[in-house]
Formats: sequence, C-alpha cells, structure tokens
Amino acid sequence: MRPAARFAAGFPKTGNRFDSGEAMAAISLSKLNKHYGSLFHAVKDVDLEIADKEFVALVGPSGCGKSTTLRMIAGLEDITSGDIRIGNKVVNHLPPRDRDVAMVFQNYALYQHMSVYDNLAFGLRNKKTPEAEIRTAIDRAAGMLGLHDLLQRKPKQLSGGQQQRVALGRCIVRNPQVFLFDEPLSNLDAKLRAQMRIEIKRLHAEIPTTSVFVTHDQVEAMTLGDRVVIMRDGRIQQIGTPLQVYGKPANKFVAGFIGAPAMNFIDVNVRSAAGVTSVEAEGLRLTIGPADAAALAIHSGRRVIMGMRPEHLSLGAGAPGLGFDAHVEVVEQLGSEILLETRVGNASITAARVPAETAIARGDQVRLSAQAGRLHFFDPETELPIS
Amino acid sequence: MAMVNRPQFLPWLPPIGRKTLFALAVAFICFAFAFPVLWLILTSLRPESGVYYVHRGTEFTLASFAEVLSDERIVAAFLNSALISTLATVFSLLVTVSSGYMLSRFTGPASRLWFGTIYVFRCVPYISWVLPLYFVTQSWGLYDTYTGLLLPHIAVHICFFSWLMKGFFDGIDPSMEYAAMIDGCTRWGAFIRVAVPSALPAISALAVLCWLFTWNEFLFALILTGNRVPVITVVMAQFVTEMGLRWNLMAATAVMALLPAFLIALFGQKYVIRGLRI
Repeated sequence: MRPAARFAAGFPKTGNRFDSGEAMAAISLSKLNKHYGSLFHAVKDVDLEIADKEFVALVGPSGCGKSTTLRMIAGLEDITSGDIRIGNKVVNHLPPRDRDVAMVFQNYALYQHMSVYDNLAFGLRNKKTPEAEIRTAIDRAAGMLGLHDLLQRKPKQLSGGQQQRVALGRCIVRNPQVFLFDEPLSNLDAKLRAQMRIEIKRLHAEIPTTSVFVTHDQVEAMTLGDRVVIMRDGRIQQIGTPLQVYGKPANKFVAGFIGAPAMNFIDVNVRSAAGVTSVEAEGLRLTIGPADAAALAIHSGRRVIMGMRPEHLSLGAGAPGLGFDAHVEVVEQLGSEILLETRVGNASITAARVPAETAIARGDQVRLSAQAGRLHFFDPETELPIS
Repeated sequence: MAMVNRPQFLPWLPPIGRKTLFALAVAFICFAFAFPVLWLILTSLRPESGVYYVHRGTEFTLASFAEVLSDERIVAAFLNSALISTLATVFSLLVTVSSGYMLSRFTGPASRLWFGTIYVFRCVPYISWVLPLYFVTQSWGLYDTYTGLLLPHIAVHICFFSWLMKGFFDGIDPSMEYAAMIDGCTRWGAFIRVAVPSALPAISALAVLCWLFTWNEFLFALILTGNRVPVITVVMAQFVTEMGLRWNLMAATAVMALLPAFLIALFGQKYVIRGLRI
C-alpha cells in the first residue's frame, strides 16, 4: 500500500470521500465578493478553481483580502455575493461545521484547557466517533508528527513549533476534504519556519488533500504551492505555477512581489533605430534581443519600466550591449554570495549572486551585465507587461 | 520588584535606612487598614460594660457571640444573606457570562443596543435606583420578599459585571472558537465548550466579586426588605436603638459577618488575581 493510502486507512471515514472514486474536493470560487459595511470592499470578484488534492498558496501584502477569502471558504465569514463550491456542493450558507474542512490558525488556536490528546480528539468526538477509532487515528497522526510524548500535556507547556504541530495533527485526524492554512508559520522563528514548511510539504505528499495556504511570505507560497495566487487590494493579480509567476509576471506588482531580493525597476526610454532596439536611462544603455525587440519597437520614443531580477545580473562584461557601470553603495556579505546595492544614474539597482569571495567594497565602480531574454518591460500606465 | 534605573526615594539615606523606612511605611498602611477590624474583634470580645474602654481592662468574654447566636432573627439573617448572595451570584453569572461574551464578540445592532442599555444604567448613580425600585417592588407585591431583593441585585450585577466579563473575553483569542466551529461545534457550542472553560478563572473571580457585593450590600437591603426577609447588613444596623447602642452585640455580629467574606476572599483571591490578569 502507498503510504498515503495506508495512512488514510487508519482514519475513520468522515464522508463518502473514499467510497466514491471521483474527485470530490475541488474548490471553486466564482465572483466572490466581501463588503464590510458600505466603505470597505475587502474581496473583489474573486474567481478561482482549485483542483482536488491541489495545494494552492494565496499570497499578498497584508490587507489584500487573502485571509478573508480563506475565512469565507471556511465559513467563518459571510459572503456578500458570489458562490463557493466544495466538491459539487454550493456551501455559501453552510456553517463551518458542515463544510468538512479543517483549519490551522496563525496563533495555533489550540484549546488551552484541554490536553493535546483531547485537542486532537475534539473534532472526532463531535462526530460521535467511537473512542477506539479516535485512539487509532490520534496514534497515527501523533506518529507522523512526533507528538507521542506530548499527548498528555497542556498546550501552554509546549513550544511554538510543537503547538503548531498539534494544530496540524488536529486537522489530519479528522481526515477532512479540505485543509485551510491561515498564515500558520508566521509566529515561528526563521529556522523553525523552514522546518515546518518541509513538514507541511511532506504531509501533503503523504495525505494528498486539497489545501489552501494563506501567507504573506512569497518564499512560503513559492515553495509550498502547486499553484500560487497573488492578491492585491482584494483582487487576484495572477494565478500560476511558481515558475509561471516568477518567469512571466502578469503585472509590475507581481513582478515586484515575487522573488527575493525584489526585482529592480528602472524607468527607461525606448530607442528604435536601424533595426536595433535599445533602452536608455541615465548611465545605462542596453541593446534588446530580438525576442523583446518587436514588442518594444512599438513603444519607440516612449518611457517604459524595465524590470531586472537581482539574480539575473552578474559581475563582468557579459554579452555585448547588456553591460553597464554601477557605483557600489552597500555590500551585503551573505557567506554564500554577496548582495550589492548599487547606483546607476538616478536608479538604485540590487545585484545578487555575486560570488562571496569577490573583493569588492563600498565606493567601487563595477561592471554589471544583464542576461538576454531575462529582462521584463512594463507599460508605465497600465503596469502590464509589454510583450 | 526590580529597583534598577528608578529614581531612588531619599537618595541620601543609606540602603538600610531606606529599607527600614519602607518597612515602617508598609507596617503603618497595614495597621491603618487592619486597625478597625482589630478594634471590632476586640470590642466583640469585651463584656457590655467594657465596650467604651476597649483598650483598658483584661476582661474578655464570648457572651456577646452567644447572645447574638441565640437570637433567631440574626441566625435567619445570616442564612438569608448567604442564600440571596449565592442565588444572585448564580443567576447573574448565567446572564453576565453570555452577555459579556456577546459584547466582546458581536458587533450587530442587538449587541450595540444592549451595550447602550447597560451603559445608561451604569451611569445612573446607584442610590437613585433605590426609590424607583421600592415603588416597583411595592406595586408588584415583591416588597420584603426574596425575589424583591434578588432581582435588583441580579440587575446590578449584570450592569456592572458584564463589562468586566467583556474585558475578560476580549483577552481570549477568538480563533479558538473558530477552530471549535470548524471542528463541528455550533456558535453556542463553541461558547460553552471552548470560550467558557477558557474564561473559568475570570468567571470564578467574578463569582467572588458578585457574592461579596451582595453579601456586603446595605442600601437595597435596607429599603427593599422589612421584617420578613432580614439580611445581615440590615440586622446589624438595628442594634442602634432608642435605648442606646449595643456595641458589643453589633461587633459580634459584624465579626461573624466578616468571616464568610474573609474565607471567600482568602480562597478566592488566587482566582480573582488570575482572573483579573487574563
């Protein structure tokens, strides 16, 4: 038996999910809106299809409506208009307990007055599951998450990481149709966060369950999500695989949000003469390869925004027509690489992936070169990509 | 408590002098608070002839206690006070806990109306409730009955303590209740099974405060009761008669009335402190 099947077999059946062979737990949001009073429109016309067993990460800056969207899926917030389907059922007005979802909260939300065991058993006891089955389910979940020694403790006696593990356990013992994660790693320190990220990824591989993961950390979103949904001001900006949102951002916001360090944006003027298209800014003149040239040629004589990812800039002359001189302002030694904060004309440009051993200091003049085909161009008014 | 980085009191004094001064100040404050109680206890142990010379003489007796305890009216008053305090606590907690929860978690019109109502009632000076209450209990035939005294007490508790309870629930993270709702509870179930158990220290603290409030309450008891429902605070005051003051009996009754309150405060203080810290 595959590990997942073996694991699932240990859990009480909560519905007919395993009985009927079809994909049951797809989530579909259509024209979803949420207003708070008449002034605040938190979620605007969100359309999102999440396939069964897919792991989708909702990411965006704080206040972008991602948590509200998640809470609407959970049933903790009323929806103003639109439809939410889980499986084939419209759940718009179903209370949370009837949606067969489980949720992990940012602050763990463990029942403080109960032992870890009772926390894990709570959901199953509500369903009147026999104690013996509950014990088996908890035993397996505890084994997976390394909770065996903690079962008799109270949540207050656990560390943050352990508490979050219990919260995960509480979700998986119920074997729900959908897992919802509301910034579950934000309260952990950086090292623990990376560990838990791997743990969540491993859990999803072992128990493939439709999951929606809300975070403001794009690294979490990129590493965990099969697909990433980027939101801003209540609207979805882009839906795509991590590679798609990184490689082909749908607009300037996505381009700046995804990737660390963030993409450099420089205002440039497009010049097209004698079949050669180039972009110019103070202290910078790059010749554009044939791939981008056609689209840019239309904007000849106009100002556009050029995006360059720090990791796509390298030290040295590089390909002809793609190099420029930069004045080093800050050197950040990371041990594995150097981050350079440089100034080119009026623009400040960050370059990453500079080998750690490079002898470089503040005030130095260096030659940086961009990679052909790795430049992004955006219309300054619409902020949409030019391609 | 850390004394670091704090401007020192009387910096020219040597540390030992400061400590002595501090100890003396603490002793003085404790004495100032304890003195009336000590005097009361002393008075209750003196024979009737000695009550005006409490500080002189070495004659002590328990006769006042015996006399007080042989008075059926006083014994009845004790029982009544205990009963009314307990009932008022139980009934008011039933409302106060859920009302505090509502004020903390819901923002709808019903919640706002309720908030406004108890706010208005809280703003009315306590003493000005008495006369209207007297007329109401009279006209409803509740004057000098348990119910006639219980209901106003419950009302006062609800108005005064819903606020405290709201504060307690504000300090409890609502996501626990959301988790419970997702785990299969109704809103009400999440309240009963998750929010209330988490607030138990606070609820215990509130129970102690409610009980002591009613046990010590004098004004309502004086105006709203007559001979049929004697309560301890009123009976105590009735030792002031035209024939003179029975200080020793009054002191003995007062000492006995202190005891339950003292015990409850003693055993409940742990909860009160923990509850108020939530």
